[in-house]
Amino acid sequence: MNRSIVRAVDWQFWISIPFLIILPFLTPYQAIATNILIVGLFATGFNILLGYTGQLSFGHASFYGLGAYTAGLLIVRLHAPLGIALLAAVVAATIAGLVIGYLSLRRSDVYFSLLTLAFSQIFYFLAFQLRSLTGGDDGLRGIPVFKPFGIDLGKPLGMYYLAFIFFIVMSYLARVILRSPLGKAMRAVKENEDRAIACGFNTQRIKLVSFVISGIYGGLAGFLYCIHLRHVPVDLFHWGMNGEVIFVCIVGGVGTFFGPIVGAIAFLLIHDYLQVIFTRWELVVGLILILFILFFNQGIVGAIENQIALYREKKAFRSQRSVVGGS
Amino acid sequence: MGERPGWVSLPSHEGEVIHISVHAFLLQAFIGLSLGSIYVMMASGLSLIFGLMRVVNFAHGSFYMLGAYTLVYLISLIGNFWICLIVSPILIGILGILIEVGGIRPLYGTEEFNPLLLTLGLNYVFVDIIRILFGLGGVGSSIPKELNGMVNLGFMMFPKYRFFMILVGAAVVFLIWLFINRTNIGLVVRAGTKDNEMVQMLGINVRLVWTLVFGLGIALAALSGALIAPITGTIPEMGMFMVIEAFVVVVIGGMGSFAGSIVAGVLVGEVIAITNLFYPQAGTVAIFILMAIILLTTKAGLFGEG
Amino acid sequence: MNLLETKGLTKRFGGLTAVDRVDFQVAKGELRAIIGPNGAGKTTFFNLIAGRLPPTEGRIWFKGEDITHVPPYEIPRRGIGRSYQITNIFPKLTVFENVRVAVQAMETTFNFWRDVRSLDSINRRTTEILERLKILDQKDVRAANLPHGLQRHLEIGIALASHPELLLLDEPTAGMTKEETERMMELIDELSKGLTIVLVEHDMRFVMSVSKKITVLHEGRILAEGRPEEIRSNEEVQRIYLGKQK
Repeated sequence: MNRSIVRAVDWQFWISIPFLIILPFLTPYQAIATNILIVGLFATGFNILLGYTGQLSFGHASFYGLGAYTAGLLIVRLHAPLGIALLAAVVAATIAGLVIGYLSLRRSDVYFSLLTLAFSQIFYFLAFQLRSLTGGDDGLRGIPVFKPFGIDLGKPLGMYYLAFIFFIVMSYLARVILRSPLGKAMRAVKENEDRAIACGFNTQRIKLVSFVISGIYGGLAGFLYCIHLRHVPVDLFHWGMNGEVIFVCIVGGVGTFFGPIVGAIAFLLIHDYLQVIFTRWELVVGLILILFILFFNQGIVGAIENQIALYREKKAFRSQRSVVGGS
Repeated sequence: MGERPGWVSLPSHEGEVIHISVHAFLLQAFIGLSLGSIYVMMASGLSLIFGLMRVVNFAHGSFYMLGAYTLVYLISLIGNFWICLIVSPILIGILGILIEVGGIRPLYGTEEFNPLLLTLGLNYVFVDIIRILFGLGGVGSSIPKELNGMVNLGFMMFPKYRFFMILVGAAVVFLIWLFINRTNIGLVVRAGTKDNEMVQMLGINVRLVWTLVFGLGIALAALSGALIAPITGTIPEMGMFMVIEAFVVVVIGGMGSFAGSIVAGVLVGEVIAITNLFYPQAGTVAIFILMAIILLTTKAGLFGEG
Repeated sequence: MNLLETKGLTKRFGGLTAVDRVDFQVAKGELRAIIGPNGAGKTTFFNLIAGRLPPTEGRIWFKGEDITHVPPYEIPRRGIGRSYQITNIFPKLTVFENVRVAVQAMETTFNFWRDVRSLDSINRRTTEILERLKILDQKDVRAANLPHGLQRHLEIGIALASHPELLLLDEPTAGMTKEETERMMELIDELSKGLTIVLVEHDMRFVMSVSKKITVLHEGRILAEGRPEEIRSNEEVQRIYLGKQK
């Protein structure tokens, strides 16, 4: 059994907990730490779809925006309590995942990607046009500060630790899923869908399940965005949002566990910091993305994982004396 | 509620009925044709690259934008529109070749979406470089004197430059058709589009053909941008939306199908132009919906082969 | 009753008829070889049985049931395992994971809460198969890093995961050295004791020595069928199929 991948998930998860606990004290200002968690959560879900199941969605902004708008609309228009808003965001993301996923997965590869994009652009259009409902171009405003269980979300640390709880729970869930039979089935789809089918997997259904799961992560991230920034911009549905999460996953490491957080940190640092010294930060983002794709395809965390796996394999090879004919 | 002769009544998105003269309608349809010309060229380039190399070139829009900027810049240096129109695509085509050799070739054989992601990165880079070199606001441009004004086509007057765009588009389509169907390289392209492995096994220098085709596709994008620049001016982001529209066209027409690019290009150009008449903001979402419908109902676009 | 039977099985691709009205029967316990020049339709024939391609005409029965239109992911559950001519494994997974995932496919897909390492029956069966195929000691090696010969073993291992009653082997010795081929021959001989095997092969010595009955395909049709000696002395076979002796 492949101890190295499972153990990788293990050590990455346990290391991440203390690191994330102190994160707000490491970042230049505390609110950015929450942004890192939100983007990291979104990317964790996206990673399940891309890194483990091998499907590249261009429309994941749909879930981000849906989560944020659903929660936001319920809060602002219907004065819903936080719990209901959360539930609604998850339900909306699940339904959207089923519908968008079912339709988009009828095609594969780039056609699948473009279909997901089409859906997110339809949402963008709707959010833009239905001004009276969503605030249109200005976005949804007027989300109040919540104080669930006495935690003041208006204070950066309060919001952070709430987001932290979400993130840890969802990360743990991702860990459980990825080492379960479902996770292995998803991996088989990515590694060789044709053979996976021949082994007996209904890969269409597996892809759909993976899509819905990753959409739920996106919806939750959107929900957190909504209550953290207390404003839902229409840009959440824009395909640029998808580009962001792709960057995060590639730089952090597609198919790794801790990758999304590392990638989120990288992205947000560039976005917030670099912008101050060098306004053309997108240039840097683009160059880094290109560099990583050409030379560090596995991302930061992936490169580390590979080194560890290589080391273990060498050990395994060395301890086997049997020489196999002809090789 | 017009019963006015010579006028067409259309509902607008605000609920009233607007009246458009048949002339205006025809003019818009014609504009749609000129727009279609651009889409056809963009889509042909994309489709050639995807059909032959299975590379999804998301940077196609950036090359379009670079073509536009190159034209404007060269004109400010040289002044002669015609020379600049010919040189710009060539220069950008060469840039495309350099990128293929340096950035995309190393990725053949790795994960399928690596080249795609690389081109995504290229977008960020190109857009920002242009912002640095030419500023955020974009550069204005104007139609060359010879092509200004209207041309009389008997039953209507049409803008000369738009007519010119259609002519260029048609000429380019013809030249590509000649290239694909009447040259040796074109034969390799056609064969390669059908069966990549076979062509490689035949020992033909596939790498070289791929590089050339990539360069050609990029040059087409640059030409499109250069061609439209005098009318729309340039802004750094002009390629970002165009690339999505170009993909929609390619998908509708069928990836890898040249004929499909032509039909779909004109179709999409018309859809955008006509929607611009009564519900401008819906133009872009309309083509997305069209694409989704095509993808869900056909196997691979109108002329595609799965 | 035949274990596997096809009647009038045909596959056309546009103008090309790859498989042409094939009536094929295999009885339980047989070790049947299918030979034929390149392009004879052998792999297409396998693809039809495994549900990877829909037939243009004809029917396929397995254990008396019509499986003509059974989707490919249902086939292993019916009891048919299949290996490929061009190695079709999960390259980035380890040898153990390759087989385990195939074993798992037969038991559960959507269980997302249990750690796969704790599913004893699956892990045990995986170890059994790896042992049988003599690659247990490579279990933690990434499949892509295996030498070619062992990859072909793994290829079959994945096919065995579903407890098949019928094993379709497509050129199992493709690309192998003499020693590797010897090993593969022993393996297949041993496997044939509990399973029905249909194999496609080019290695004549292999075919003549292991199989009791040979089917010759040519241009999509069955040209001849019979015992190795009969086939060897068949003039037509000699005519179209000369020069494939190894």
